[in-house]
Amino acid sequence: MIEMDRGRIGIVALAVLLLAGCGQETKITRVDSGVVTDLSGRWNDTDSRIVAESMVKEALEYPWLNNFSGANHRQPVVVVGTIQNNSHEHINVDTFVADLERELTNSQKVTFVAGKGDREELRTERKEQAMYAREDTQKAPGKEIGADYMMKGTIATILDEAEGTKAVFYQIDLQMVDLESNAKVWFGQKKIKKVVEKKRSIF
Amino acid sequence: MVRSEEDQESCRKEALHLLGSPTQLSSLDPGPTVLVPARWGFSISTRSIVIVAALVLGAGCGPSANRYLLIEASLRAHDAKGADAIVQQAEKEYGDKSRVLYGMDRGMTLQLAGDYQQSNAVLEQAEDEVDRLYTRKIRTETLAFMTSDTALPYEGDPYEQVMINVLKALNYAVLGQWQDALVEVRRIDHRLNVLSDRTKEKNAYRDDGFARYLSGILYESTGDVNNAFIAYRNAYEIFDGSRSWSHTGVPSQLRTDLLRTAEAMHLTQEFTEYQRLFPETRWESSQTLQQLAHVVVISYNGRAPHKEDQFLDLPISLDALQLVLLNRGFSQASGHSNRPVDTVLYGLNGRVVRVALPQLIRQKTQVPLDTVNLVSDNGSRATMNTELVQNVTALADKALSERMAGITVKALARAATKFALAEGATRGAQQAAGKDAAPWVGLLVGMVTKGLAVASEEADKRSWQTLPDEIHLARAWVPPGHYQVQGRQVGGPQDPLKPETLRTISLGAGETAILIQRVMP
Repeated sequence: MIEMDRGRIGIVALAVLLLAGCGQETKITRVDSGVVTDLSGRWNDTDSRIVAESMVKEALEYPWLNNFSGANHRQPVVVVGTIQNNSHEHINVDTFVADLERELTNSQKVTFVAGKGDREELRTERKEQAMYAREDTQKAPGKEIGADYMMKGTIATILDEAEGTKAVFYQIDLQMVDLESNAKVWFGQKKIKKVVEKKRSIF
Repeated sequence: MVRSEEDQESCRKEALHLLGSPTQLSSLDPGPTVLVPARWGFSISTRSIVIVAALVLGAGCGPSANRYLLIEASLRAHDAKGADAIVQQAEKEYGDKSRVLYGMDRGMTLQLAGDYQQSNAVLEQAEDEVDRLYTRKIRTETLAFMTSDTALPYEGDPYEQVMINVLKALNYAVLGQWQDALVEVRRIDHRLNVLSDRTKEKNAYRDDGFARYLSGILYESTGDVNNAFIAYRNAYEIFDGSRSWSHTGVPSQLRTDLLRTAEAMHLTQEFTEYQRLFPETRWESSQTLQQLAHVVVISYNGRAPHKEDQFLDLPISLDALQLVLLNRGFSQASGHSNRPVDTVLYGLNGRVVRVALPQLIRQKTQVPLDTVNLVSDNGSRATMNTELVQNVTALADKALSERMAGITVKALARAATKFALAEGATRGAQQAAGKDAAPWVGLLVGMVTKGLAVASEEADKRSWQTLPDEIHLARAWVPPGHYQVQGRQVGGPQDPLKPETLRTISLGAGETAILIQRVMP
């Protein structure tokens, strides 16, 4: 009898040990992409979205677009140049540049042409078409649209940290440069500041 | 009753004496058999106690030594992929507490194996973990206080944390991702700035000459001469200021770099100052070098030091202890006396406790200098001689000595607490057993608990052991073209296993190639 009791207690104890901690190993919740999720304090999707939104707004608001359309009776053609990462993080700039391109293209006010990296791929494709594709479907070289403006930019951070508290300041600058005259026709700027506090000890 | 306690005492002393030989005693080493006086009619073997305790508490500390021997053997055989496989297979052995160490060890072997992307991935994880470990868990700290420092999560010494970013910067540079390499350079700068703010003592490790120098090289390679100059200047000041303990002089290459960048920035005042400081140094201007290709050789020579247990059996005498602490300048630093520790120490006045302290075992490299030859297609040859830029052993030495006072005090307090607990358990058991059985029950419980206390005493011997003993560096500018790279070690033993290390690189004007090599021993 005692033996049986002991065995039962052993099994219960084992079960408790095994179950403890199984409950919350991985938990997944779907959230809207607009929800702010600040986990580590580093550059995240929210930052990228905020930057894209404010840049699109600025780019469409300012008169450079209308000035150009008024003078030339067509949409300006823009190519994306280098967005220099001068920050402390390995930031993927493609996400907000893509957001920006999408918004400006869909607004029907700007035409984007492929940037440097994409162009190589497209040209290779055309060369291969010239060799392998049916003649009436071949795309001829020398018909690319030359861009009027180049969009360039930088992301910089300023960090300050002491005693577990870190202040991170991001400054994102974008500029539209006239490819003929090198004149800068538009400046977009967004600043983000975060304070990350880490506790020295927890229980 | 009094007599039996005396017997107990002498027996414990005998056990301690036998267990506590001054040479290091691995916790797996079975203790000798101790006979209890025959009066009580039975005998007990401490062997079983120590083995059980060792199995419980020492699990996982045995294989680590073997692991590093295997890694070393693979590296000696120029099989970096094999070395990496050993680290990878041992991931579980590292355990949750040593995630950072795993990332460091693996990041290095992956870099040597040429898998730079994966190396960055594991190093990034290690860096994130270091950030997380800033917040200490009181639970874990308490557990570690009761057992040993190995129960604490490993966060690495400051110099090791800087080396994480250094390795990442090199990986990105080798991959040609210069923007990302510069991100790591900025992180190095930030890490070192925070470190020097935190470290008050002037002569401590609070900045890193090599990390600054490499930052300058990477800045200059991307055309950012201004930042390069600032990094070189910092590097020069750090090399110069810390040479007494870092055993690393100012590399002669750095002097030419300073002169060149100061001139390129038109910093007349700085330029004349450096010209006055290094009158012998010959250098070429930035404009000349722009037409050439830039080669940087990083050579990891030898093996980083490792740590071993150093067991000390200390009599607990408050006077002696106070004297030791006073000598170390600890009492003044802490100001007020630590009441709980004092109380425990008073209770144990006159007894002997065992503490384990980490001890650094140096493994100096026998290679004083590497020579790398670049042989171009038309047969012309450029010879690059490396210079010492980072003495990892000296850094490890410094890091350990900076922490030693703290480790010692903690170890003493821990040992004292363990013995106080053992003593408490003994008394408790004696009372529970009743009058007749009390003496021998007390003896038994005392031996078990004190055996545990002795067996669980272990110093934290973890360190980034896949690092080299020394890091050497050489820079050269050569005409653009194809080159064969041939490495040779001067003064070191001839290594019959070394294959013809022939690599071919092709360089355009203004391009930078980074060559990484590992030289053993």
